[in-house]
Amino acid sequence: MSADEQHPNGDARGGRGAFTEPPEPDVYGPERVAPRPVPDELDPVDDVPDVNFVPAPCQVACPIGTDAPSYLAYIWEGKTEEAFEAITATNPFSSVCGRVCDAPCEPACRRADSDGPIAIRNLKRFVMDELGATYKPAAVPVTKEQTVGIVGGGPAGLTAAQDLAEAGYAVDVYEMTSMLGGYMTWGIPEFRCPREIFEEDINRILARCPGITVHLNTALGADVTLDELKERHDAVLLSIGAWWGKGVGLEKPTIDERVIDGVTFLRRINDGERPAMPSRVVVVGAGDVAMDACRVAKRLPGCEHVQVLYRRGEDEIPARLDELEGALKEDVELIYNIQPVAVTGEHGDFVLRCVRTELGEPEEDGRRWPENVPGSEHEYACGLVILATGQRTESEHLEALGMLHEDKVRTDWDSMRTSDPQVFAAGDGAFGPSTIVMAMQHGHRAAYYLKSFLEGIDDPLPYRVPFKTRRVPIAQDPEWEVFHREEQAFHGLGENPVQFPEIESAYDAESARREAARCYRCDAETGSADYNVHAREDIFVMARTQPDDGLKQRATFSKRLRSPMDVQPVERPPSFDDLVFLPANLSRLVIDPYRDACRVNVSLGERVELAAPFVATGLDQAPGEVRIALGRALATVGLGYLGRRQLEGVPWLQLVGEGDQPNAEAAAVIAVSRSGPAAPPDRLAEGQLVGVAASVAQLREAIPQALEAELDILLLDACPPLSHESSELGAHPDLTVIRDTIAIMRELNREEELEIVFRGGVRTGTDVAKLIGLGANVAAIGVALGLAMGGNIDDGQVVFYGNASVDERAEAAELFLRALSSEAAIMPRCTGKTDLRNIEPEDLRAITIATAKATGLPLAGVRELAAVQAAGS
Amino acid sequence: MATVDLAKLTVREANESIRRFGEQGEDVEVLNPDARHHIGVGLVHPITLRIRGSAGYFCGGLTDGPRIEVEANVGWGLADNMTSGSIVVRGNASAIPGVAIRGPDVVVHGNIGSRAGQVMKEGTLCAGGNANFMAGYMLYGGRLIICGDSGAQVGQDMTGGAIYVGGKVDSLGTDAMLTDLDEGEADELAEFLERYEVSFKGSFQKIVNAGKLLRYARAEPRVRVIPFFEASTKDGYWSDKVQEDISVKAQLGRYRIRGYGAGRPLPHLSDLAFKRDLTMIPPDPDVVGRVELATSLGGRAAANPIELSMPLMIAPMSYGALSKSTKVALAKASALSDICDNTGEGGLSDEVRSAAKRIVFQCLGGRLGWNIHDMRRADGIEIYISQGAKPGLGGQLMAKKVTPEIARIRGIPAGIDLRSPSRHPDVLGADDLVIKVEELREATNYEKPISVKLGAGRVSDDIKIAYKDGFDYVCLDGVQGSTGAASAEVLEYVGIPTLSAIIEALDALDGIGATGMPIVLMGGIKDGLDTAKALALGAHSVAMGTSAIIAGGCIACLQCHVGQCVVGIATQDPEHEERYNIDPEALNIHRFLESVRWQLASIVHAHGYGSHRELSRDDLVALTPEAAEITRLPYAPEYREQPQVLQVATG
Repeated sequence: MSADEQHPNGDARGGRGAFTEPPEPDVYGPERVAPRPVPDELDPVDDVPDVNFVPAPCQVACPIGTDAPSYLAYIWEGKTEEAFEAITATNPFSSVCGRVCDAPCEPACRRADSDGPIAIRNLKRFVMDELGATYKPAAVPVTKEQTVGIVGGGPAGLTAAQDLAEAGYAVDVYEMTSMLGGYMTWGIPEFRCPREIFEEDINRILARCPGITVHLNTALGADVTLDELKERHDAVLLSIGAWWGKGVGLEKPTIDERVIDGVTFLRRINDGERPAMPSRVVVVGAGDVAMDACRVAKRLPGCEHVQVLYRRGEDEIPARLDELEGALKEDVELIYNIQPVAVTGEHGDFVLRCVRTELGEPEEDGRRWPENVPGSEHEYACGLVILATGQRTESEHLEALGMLHEDKVRTDWDSMRTSDPQVFAAGDGAFGPSTIVMAMQHGHRAAYYLKSFLEGIDDPLPYRVPFKTRRVPIAQDPEWEVFHREEQAFHGLGENPVQFPEIESAYDAESARREAARCYRCDAETGSADYNVHAREDIFVMARTQPDDGLKQRATFSKRLRSPMDVQPVERPPSFDDLVFLPANLSRLVIDPYRDACRVNVSLGERVELAAPFVATGLDQAPGEVRIALGRALATVGLGYLGRRQLEGVPWLQLVGEGDQPNAEAAAVIAVSRSGPAAPPDRLAEGQLVGVAASVAQLREAIPQALEAELDILLLDACPPLSHESSELGAHPDLTVIRDTIAIMRELNREEELEIVFRGGVRTGTDVAKLIGLGANVAAIGVALGLAMGGNIDDGQVVFYGNASVDERAEAAELFLRALSSEAAIMPRCTGKTDLRNIEPEDLRAITIATAKATGLPLAGVRELAAVQAAGS
Repeated sequence: MATVDLAKLTVREANESIRRFGEQGEDVEVLNPDARHHIGVGLVHPITLRIRGSAGYFCGGLTDGPRIEVEANVGWGLADNMTSGSIVVRGNASAIPGVAIRGPDVVVHGNIGSRAGQVMKEGTLCAGGNANFMAGYMLYGGRLIICGDSGAQVGQDMTGGAIYVGGKVDSLGTDAMLTDLDEGEADELAEFLERYEVSFKGSFQKIVNAGKLLRYARAEPRVRVIPFFEASTKDGYWSDKVQEDISVKAQLGRYRIRGYGAGRPLPHLSDLAFKRDLTMIPPDPDVVGRVELATSLGGRAAANPIELSMPLMIAPMSYGALSKSTKVALAKASALSDICDNTGEGGLSDEVRSAAKRIVFQCLGGRLGWNIHDMRRADGIEIYISQGAKPGLGGQLMAKKVTPEIARIRGIPAGIDLRSPSRHPDVLGADDLVIKVEELREATNYEKPISVKLGAGRVSDDIKIAYKDGFDYVCLDGVQGSTGAASAEVLEYVGIPTLSAIIEALDALDGIGATGMPIVLMGGIKDGLDTAKALALGAHSVAMGTSAIIAGGCIACLQCHVGQCVVGIATQDPEHEERYNIDPEALNIHRFLESVRWQLASIVHAHGYGSHRELSRDDLVALTPEAAEITRLPYAPEYREQPQVLQVATG
């Protein structure tokens, strides 16, 4: 992209003086497709460059980028403190938000399209109810000389204050009322959020930031002027809110106490008033203020019926659905398509005159503008009209300074600056009434630009909400697909409504856990490299892009061009995993793996008849109980044991190292030496098999010697040394050992004269089938079997704890061996064979050059097979 | 009664004539049949068809309603997939008589060949004489009456229905058992034999499914998937994924099952890059109109090729693996984008047919939901040999998804862990396949393209056979292809990558000078970029399954096999299916397809080409040594957009 080109996010920095507006949120917009790099300062809290992470829609929808997926997963794990950290990391008003956040995360939640969004807000409340009141944050000291004055102690102002204080600045907050919290503490009634919850958050901020000094009852203009503040501080932030009701252009008697604006009404209630109501109350408007006002009125003495009049229809209602439903449950009546035009009458016959409305054509924003229906005038009798039809900012002082524009402090979104270079602004007062969480975003944003200003950075990188992930594993709840959304208990008006008891109670631990388990984890990497989290999310974005939206199409396409996970890693050691089988199709008849028989048993001689081509190994040192269980499983399945110690009741392939005594009872004796090839052992009994072990370095000498001595078995060690049972854990198995063995035996024209047992890194029946294809006869299974029997990898060894009985371990071993057998039996059938032993190198292909070289097999799809074999030599 | 003389007409002409008489309701007598194949195929009217001699393969195949009489013997595949009516053969029948029938009476007075009644669903197949081995092989329903001896392994792998043997039961097949006749059953059998003049003295033994293998002994534990990189890192040999696998298998005693395709990184189209710098393409909203993307597919032997507005199709996915809602959404999206849908296994519903503008009807070995009427109303017919996700394995539908409705459409018992046959009953080799293709052409009047779906394995050999068998086009599916349920080991380790597959196919066709058989490439194709690369390599078009599903709401949790899909896609549970919103998701899929179109058009336009057909290998380079080796394109890692190091999340 050229430097002067507009960023697809539409948020390139315009010239100074151009006052830009905040962008419309779009969870699937270019902001998420191609997030701009965040400024260095925010780097530690941004994980977007992590190729296994894409912020979930809920996180993108959250104006402060709350890492909801992580805190939900922590809740499921029972890690409440970790959840608390994730919640509060960017949210100084977490306790408040647990109750009254607008929660834009929830409509963005992908499960909303299915059986209802995760109750992210309620889960936040669950955590905050547990820890919010008791948490003691560590205090951050003042380290800088510069100071900032903040006018207005609402969520925007206090968020900025905390960010600045955390950066070491001293901050003075000037609040015109008698308490902090701004409109939210004055506007939100206690039944939705009790006073102590606000205090909880505010106290946490002040405890964390001793550098914040609060000046209550200090109004801008009346008590302190902007010039004085500019004098006192290096920079000033205006976060003055939008406290004043707008009215609806209603014709009304000039002073009538029976018409009140909603903001004022709520403020008086939160100041402790509980005025008696007339029996009928009408609320005009249907935003959040209207919902609070109608529900307050419903609780006050004397009120019998509350009606809410809204000029549009039900689908256009701006209030949060929860609030609307709460009001309806509390018997508030909603009347749609009604526009009040006048209040008339004197005491006794007070009426609200209204007209019906119809919705016109949709506007650009999709909302339909209501139009009055001529001749539809009618009247509502009522004792009080509450106008909740919008809020605005009012400041004669700033007005006089020429800093207001259209009822707001004129502010540039891209720099958060006002027309005064030393003065910044944020929150409702700057950009119009919005939500608590949006105010906090403004606070973070303003603090970022303020810090840049104070540090003398003239042209800072644009702010971007950072997205952090705590990489919590996905909740392993088997019912996650099934659980329905948990609702909190709803109490409505309660027994004594005028005391404003809380309307809901929080989840208990079990319901919180169930609800948390429902999360899809849109942020987490998938189990598919091909449909990795980037691919999936890009496809999601493509599915939400209008065909003719060229900018968004291009943004997504650019992302696809550089999709970070798509090109496979170059550095990959040779591995069983990079071998594939060639299935039978038209050229061969497939042997139905569901039905047709496939032989898997092998015989190395009459004393070693194996039900499948594997033996157990590497458990000489395991606890007695484990060995008993293993012996039982091997006997049941019909397999043998390869080791220095005998396992009763099963064919024993004895490993004989220096100092070991060959045993006549052993079905086979295999000599092991760490230095040079082992001396061929003697046959101690009739029918006993004899062999030697060799690692890749020993093959050239060991194979001719073994053939010379007419040995039966060659044990290949792909993870030397054999004497260390845990050596399998140390490295990938060396596949060249089988390649070279076959090559040497072919050179000698004596292929298939030795039974080849392969030891090292065998995990699955598929690995076994591949080994057979490469020329081995039997695979020795060590670590995998230990793990199957309940072992754990700990400090480079498989260790066992007393967490399972002998019976349980025996059953696990048996089932695991049967599983391997079932896997080993699928592969030949897919390649069109009825006997595992018939798998040939020709049935296999490599998919990496490293594996092709290590095995001597061709790369899949390469025309000249000889060419790759040459590469392998 | 009209007469059709095969001494004077080809079978194709004869069948056209028979069908015309059928429409007029006039009975037909076939003279000089000379054991020709496909006599009567595709007849859907209840007339009498009297064959005066012997008939060859697939006599009366893909029919509904006729009464067919054969005076002498018949070849294999008698009454293949017949839906109703009757066939009476006076002589003997060769192998697989009554294969996949769904309701008719099929009576052979003499002996019947091996695998009689294979995958039959409903109706009666009766032999007056003996049966050869594996009578009632994979029988799903209906009854098989053998008046003589049963032959070896009778009832092998049957899941439903009943087999009656009047003579000796030589040996029982796997999971078959003898049981007593119900009250009145002997009379019903006697009535049937009398009606068809089959003389029988004695009593019948009854064989049914023993019910031991219908379900896996242990259900898959429900786990949420571990990120793929846990299994793919340099130091991750005993990764969390490997350890989880081991611990689950120690509970299951068998291979694991899951949904989706190969999980680990494989050589793919994303290992290629266009030489041209595509980061500079303009955000042109009208680029789609500036190039030609429309194409036509399958006109090699068919009269009516499939017209596509761009070289892209919806990959076959079954109603069964997917909910009906999802199938309808895909069909609607394909219609909105003017491309072609595919039924996958498990039949074509009215809802899907009416929602899709064009749809290919897939024919699988189990013939589940397969029938002449849906063939006729499809726009193309596809023989499934295998699929990239699990070549060698038949479809797999866990019991949770085998609801009564799914079972009814497929003609199978409800509530079994359905493991579809891995082979076609009537395609044991390339020669059989030629005859099968002809049967399908006869049944659809040589109008519709007949394609073959191949999972990528021995592509070089398979593609040459497909060419010689006369398919109109080939759908080639790499190991990156996905599925609703399969053995995890097969998903990962059977088959070759999509990239290898297309190169091998083109090389092989080139090697024999074959032209004119287009390849539709699929298996992990995700966007317009992948599409353009596939076309540049030489694919005619591509198909997308998983990507379309994701566009329509799938969250790639890989738990399709569980049957409780959280978004209502891979489920038959009504409560879960209700979660799927057809119209919004159809729109999402449509917009995704349009975004693919935009990307493809932009790439074509950026190269200065007027049509996607001008894209060529010369436009590409390889980003990895593997891709370079496979494709023989120049190895040019400098074309990577950014360092491509597999970064592992920690913490």
